[in-house]
Amino acid sequence: MALALTYATSRTLVRMRLAAFRHGLDDQFRRSWIVTGGFVGLALAGGTLWLAGRGDHDVLAVVLAVWMLGWVVGPLFAGGGDETLKPEYFTMLPLPPRTLSAGLLVAALAGVAPVISLIALLSLVVVSGGVAAALVAVPALLLQLLCFLLASRLAVAVYGVLLQVRAGAVIAALVNAFILAFTAQGWALIVAFVSTDVQGAFATGARIAPSGWGLVAVEAAGRGEWLEVLAALAGLVVLAVVMLLAWSALLVRRTTGSRTGGTVRRQLSARTGAGAAGAKELRSWTRDLLYGHRAVFAVAYGLFFCMMPLAIGMKSMLPWAGPAAVVMAGSMTANLYGADGTAFWTTLMTPGSSRADVRARQRAFLLVFGPSTLLITLLLTWWSGDTRAWPLVLSALPALLGGAAGLVVACSVYAAVPTTDAHKRSGNPLNSGENEGETMGIVYVMLVLVAATCAPALILALYTGWWGVPVGVLSGVLAWWYFGRVAARRLDARGPELLTLLRHGRSPAEQAKKTAGFDALPKWRRTLAGFCLGFGAIPLFPQAVVPAIFKLTGNHDTKSWFLALYQDGPWQWIVIVLMAVLGLSMYAYGGLTYYYAKKNAPDGSVAVAAG
Amino acid sequence: MEEALELVGLTKVFGEQRAVDDLSLTVPARSFFGVLGPNGAGKTTSLSMAVGLLRPDGGTARIFGVDVWRDPTRAKALVGVLPDGLGMPERLTGREVLTYLGLLRGLPEDEVARRAAELLEVLELDHEDDKQVIGYSTGMRKKLGLAVALLHAPRLLVLDEPFEAVDPVSAATIRTILHRFIAGGGSVVMSSHVMALVEQLCDRVAVVADGKVVAAGTVAEVQAGGSLEDAFVSLVGASTRGAEGLTWLSH
Repeated sequence: MALALTYATSRTLVRMRLAAFRHGLDDQFRRSWIVTGGFVGLALAGGTLWLAGRGDHDVLAVVLAVWMLGWVVGPLFAGGGDETLKPEYFTMLPLPPRTLSAGLLVAALAGVAPVISLIALLSLVVVSGGVAAALVAVPALLLQLLCFLLASRLAVAVYGVLLQVRAGAVIAALVNAFILAFTAQGWALIVAFVSTDVQGAFATGARIAPSGWGLVAVEAAGRGEWLEVLAALAGLVVLAVVMLLAWSALLVRRTTGSRTGGTVRRQLSARTGAGAAGAKELRSWTRDLLYGHRAVFAVAYGLFFCMMPLAIGMKSMLPWAGPAAVVMAGSMTANLYGADGTAFWTTLMTPGSSRADVRARQRAFLLVFGPSTLLITLLLTWWSGDTRAWPLVLSALPALLGGAAGLVVACSVYAAVPTTDAHKRSGNPLNSGENEGETMGIVYVMLVLVAATCAPALILALYTGWWGVPVGVLSGVLAWWYFGRVAARRLDARGPELLTLLRHGRSPAEQAKKTAGFDALPKWRRTLAGFCLGFGAIPLFPQAVVPAIFKLTGNHDTKSWFLALYQDGPWQWIVIVLMAVLGLSMYAYGGLTYYYAKKNAPDGSVAVAAG
Repeated sequence: MEEALELVGLTKVFGEQRAVDDLSLTVPARSFFGVLGPNGAGKTTSLSMAVGLLRPDGGTARIFGVDVWRDPTRAKALVGVLPDGLGMPERLTGREVLTYLGLLRGLPEDEVARRAAELLEVLELDHEDDKQVIGYSTGMRKKLGLAVALLHAPRLLVLDEPFEAVDPVSAATIRTILHRFIAGGGSVVMSSHVMALVEQLCDRVAVVADGKVVAAGTVAEVQAGGSLEDAFVSLVGASTRGAEGLTWLSH
């Protein structure tokens, strides 16, 4: 009976999800994200299969661990994972919680990401190397996929619970920042702990982690050690069941909990309009746990990112923790108007308040991130003992702070991403709407843009030393002033349009208008343009700008994944230039494709498309 | 007679659908004006365009002669708005919302404090001072919205469904406030689909269907001898179904 009900529920939920997916395909924005994401995913899955084909099990174990990590961490950055079917939709149905969560789990399997992971997991069959092992590989890979998915859902649920209390939000931010920094700088920690056999240690760890149990089963089958096969598979089953139970329990909590703001500690006591706007914005940072979470995350990320290399005694990155935190902060908070949603009507209906509102948001940003990053920069640069770093960081920091404070409001106004209004949100604090793709895109673009604002001051500081500092301060003030002005003017001129966007999202008609010219292009050109815009940053920044900075600052210890630094002598510069040219060409190609498509759109102007 | 609100040929097209189609309407000063219409008739869209929240594709709106779309700053000083279903600064308390918006409107600090205290007391929101707006119920949000609309003592109130989800006691309070507002020389435009309420409160009504005004005038004129509800049903051309079929509902 229970099984029949679970089956029927799952079937219906899968149909619902597929229907929503089909409608999603009608939407140009979502379609381009799905296509781009699918393309990248397939490339990664193909890479995994290729690795498996080479027969190096150790590397495969590590790669599978990375896949699982992606499932767990991914949703934390992309708005709480796929929530096409929110548990809240089904609270009034007379279904036992476990039936519902089983149904939601099955429905979650009907998506692009699980299919791609399934392809990647076929690597277990590839490495099996015998009929018996191949037969073991089939259940192993299915169980492994189930565990990936469950781990992902469970992580989101746990995270959701954490975010409901202040301490939890801070812990979640710290963990999150550590994980993300680890993916970039974790090599240092690992090198520190296992200075001899890095790959071996990695592989051992990856086999102990649940992501490696499927591989362990297949390997054991190849050796004919059936007891170990059974143990590994049973381990996966038990893990899946435990995670499912935990997840259902958290779902019940989520759909029956209440959502009120905490009690208020200090009443607003401003005296002027500008002061009131600032006070309101600061209260978003102190009272909204998601804001606070982001602030802690950005600062912690900067710290972890630059402090992890300490594990191998490398101090040269320490001075950059402050600047890194500012860049992360700017990119995480570039949707201020989107986050406030339709509450924007109060600003729109109050004559002359847009300037006060924009400047208040800038002040709040500077107040939250200015003193903290300055303090970090001063302390860590002093600690690093690197006297040459002083003019560099003190030039870059004010430029970045001003640049971020300017770009954050400009981006919030020009590229607002509509989210669900706070009072209508579901129990998943990470999920603020259904525009994860767009939000992620803005995070990436802002990482690049904010980082770019320190370029003039930093370049000058590299050649002239302390002259960079006044230039940094000046460029910061200019960026703060100019982008703030642009944002306020835009609010005055196009406020009603922004409100409409926040209220109704992008209507299919507007999207059709927006993308008519683009749609007329052949599909491969659209995909290529999207790909170029999405990934142009990789050759340009980590592979060209960052190694260039390292070389200029005389940092020869860090190679990480900077391709150029693995070359000899002049080849380093050649690789850097080639990478920069590649990145810029990708941006140029993507940008121009969009530009001309919009220029040739039936109803005309680029301005309309940009609006 | 002076006009509090004048809508001239307002048009809004969403995709293929003409949500509001060349809609014109005149609201005389000091009148209590009800806008009636079935769901999806274009009431909210029209009122949004009338006050400057949604840019029309055609036509314009004037508040006491000031063009909302040419001179929004002056027009917005004259009107107080209660939109339906829009957010608020969720992380502030009710008192803080009023303080914040009052100061932004340029009112002096002590005046803002006085007005906020009075509005909160009258609307019975003064016991909720430690509560952020995100924790408010739908009815409380409506009442706070009304307080926001009244705060700067506008000459015209435009209220979208002001009585929805409001309990009977609060509804009576709101009615009293609105009557006082009219008696003091103000004008009110209110949308609703509660006929009895409109019949009881308003002196003039307009019926909107499919984005057009199908009838407008004094309540007596629109009623044409019958009840407002009968007039409404015959005007919007809806058949009252629900008696036939649905046999499976019987136990």
